[in-house]
Amino acid sequence: MSREREAEALDERLLAAIEAWHRHGRSLDDAEFDDLALAIFAHQLRYDTAYAAYCAGYGLSLTALPSTWREIPPLPARAYKEAAIAAFPIERADLVFESSGTTLGEPSRHYIEDRRLYDAALLAGFERAMLGDGARLRYLLLVPNPAQRPHSSLGYMMGRVATLFGDGETGWYLDEDRLLVDAFIADARDACDRGQPICLAATAFSLLHLVETLEEHGIILNLPVGSRLMETGGFKGRSRVVTRDELYARASRAFALPIERIVAEYGMSELCSQYYDRPNSEINIAGASHRIKCAPPWLRTRVLDERERDCPHGIVGALAHIDLANRSSCLAVLTEDLGAVVDGGIVLLGRESGAQLRGCSLDAEDLRRS
Amino acid sequence: MTALASIPLRRIAAAIGDAAVRWCDADFPPRVRATGSIVERTGYSIPMVEFALDALFGELRSDTLLETALRELGDLEALDAPAARAYPLGRVAILSSRTTIGVAIPAMCFALAAKNDVLVKDREDALVAAFARTLCEELDDFANALEIAAWNGSREESRLQGASLIVVFGNDATIARVTAEHAGQARTIGFGSRTSLGYLDATTQSNPASLDAALAGAARDASLYEGEGCMSLHALFVERSVATDAREIAARFARAMENAATEFPVGERSAANRAGMLQARNLAAFRSAGGRGGAFCDDALTYLLLLDPPENEPPPFLPRTVAVLPIESPEEIARYVARHALPIECLGITGTGRRHTELASRIGAARLAPLGEMQRPPLQAHHGGRLRIAEYVRFLDIDGERE
Repeated sequence: MSREREAEALDERLLAAIEAWHRHGRSLDDAEFDDLALAIFAHQLRYDTAYAAYCAGYGLSLTALPSTWREIPPLPARAYKEAAIAAFPIERADLVFESSGTTLGEPSRHYIEDRRLYDAALLAGFERAMLGDGARLRYLLLVPNPAQRPHSSLGYMMGRVATLFGDGETGWYLDEDRLLVDAFIADARDACDRGQPICLAATAFSLLHLVETLEEHGIILNLPVGSRLMETGGFKGRSRVVTRDELYARASRAFALPIERIVAEYGMSELCSQYYDRPNSEINIAGASHRIKCAPPWLRTRVLDERERDCPHGIVGALAHIDLANRSSCLAVLTEDLGAVVDGGIVLLGRESGAQLRGCSLDAEDLRRS
Repeated sequence: MTALASIPLRRIAAAIGDAAVRWCDADFPPRVRATGSIVERTGYSIPMVEFALDALFGELRSDTLLETALRELGDLEALDAPAARAYPLGRVAILSSRTTIGVAIPAMCFALAAKNDVLVKDREDALVAAFARTLCEELDDFANALEIAAWNGSREESRLQGASLIVVFGNDATIARVTAEHAGQARTIGFGSRTSLGYLDATTQSNPASLDAALAGAARDASLYEGEGCMSLHALFVERSVATDAREIAARFARAMENAATEFPVGERSAANRAGMLQARNLAAFRSAGGRGGAFCDDALTYLLLLDPPENEPPPFLPRTVAVLPIESPEEIARYVARHALPIECLGITGTGRRHTELASRIGAARLAPLGEMQRPPLQAHHGGRLRIAEYVRFLDIDGERE
């Protein structure tokens, strides 16, 4: 079978699995997930030369395949900065996403062969997590505008969502790195006047900036009933300036929005699928309360210790995601994020930032910044 | 007038030295208690904490304090009436946060030797407070000169009011904040974030015994304090040589790291550190699969050596993790340091020579030390490139007495 035929066949299986969950809530059982994961892994060993060479170091090859998805070697996300991780000729890429450059050096590039799979995964995830009531919302977006940042996966995602699920009056309020606060306020007030519920999507930093500006001017936007807020991106790569609870409490006041209407999305440019907060879920891990995030059935996560073994439930380790929708790149990605597996999903604790340096005095953050 | 103004320097130094001698005894009950507290705070293994305490108190000798005073003040009577030419500043505050073990203690002792009243912000392990009690047993007057307190956050820093000098060991943000808050009231000396590097020259590599000794030393420098001290080795530059290639040196270095882990077992590591090491190892393995460098480690990731990482990557600031960088000449070390704007505390070397001194000077290092001795700075060494006791006095020059 040719590479194209093999890829097409895998994509059809994946699209069917995504559709089954999206429309009918049908999940993948362990055997089905294993079967798909191992088939995709074999495909990637055949055609993704950089990943295959890495897997050889684990003793894995087409003649020595793993027996379960848990044995698939997770590729460090930073490998996407250093090589083309693709199971197809990258000049045929339908989409190319670049990281926002939260760590040093080149941005990572994620080459995607066929946008149908990417679109299906993101739309299914978003609709089930954010639009369970079927609402047609106005999308006010404080995320990169695809017109300016065509390689932003977040911008692409929200553009697709707004086009498909929006009321046709989508607004973008990030002009490069500048937040268009006045335009946002004007459009939000217009929606309020018309009783049009809003979906506000913002990175954590944009949201904080917006909320601070509204607070400074004593503005409260009473968003219409049914409005919701999707926060994404956390504070990775920068010193955290407010806690999540504080940010959400202030946003809740600024937009007269019930706190349960604020949902965090967790994704990365190296993945095709996303996690979302599970409604009304809080759990105490590592001395703090966290919301539980849940994934669509084709995305599973391992939490790893330093020996690359799975941590027990509730124990914090490095997150490695196995995203079957990454068929055309690498399905297993070791992130720089910390988290824990819990009943019903994962909790995300932020990004590993090197040693907790107690030097006299050596501070990794200072040195990396210097 | 400070509490110690009328006490001769020799008496103060003797009391400090005598207290330190008691703390050199591993069975001294306050030290035993402090060891447990330090292990709990830092997560380091007991042998590592014992090493740190031995090194700290072993250096804190009366003769070394007096030598330093003589060198920096020019005269051992300079601080003593009736011929005093140097005077205490008044009240000195010492803040240490995010530090390894006992960092504030030498600073405290020098400030006391200069007859200042001293306030020290202690860590959760209360090591400074415990040593201060021993000091007071040796010399009652210390009780009136010393205040040791523990507090969190910046709210309680009102107690810094009245200080003439604030010494801050901490990250850059802490130093900047304290400096700004006390501008115009107190001078601030900041000991901020710094790191250390090693250089293995070609000559050393030509002799297997010298090479293994140097690598054993480098392993010790990288392993102590889990890479968290400013004198911890984070990158080892290996001059290319006909005798050995970098991969062989990395393999020998890995064996030395294993040996160091026997002497200084790994303690508790945070999830962030464990995850960081896993990420670094797998990335090095990925590069190796692509034909560049490699990762040298054991199964438990006790240590991690990253051979030939890209030069645009800064050193890995992770426990017992060292970048091993092959170079053609020391010039590349200077370029690396400049590229990453690294503030360097110590350059570890083998042998001696003008070439090393010039390199250390070029990269802004405060200290040049043999590999294996990086983590044992002499008490009189200019920590952070600064004077030890002279920072705590004000001099009085009397022109007419010059002749």
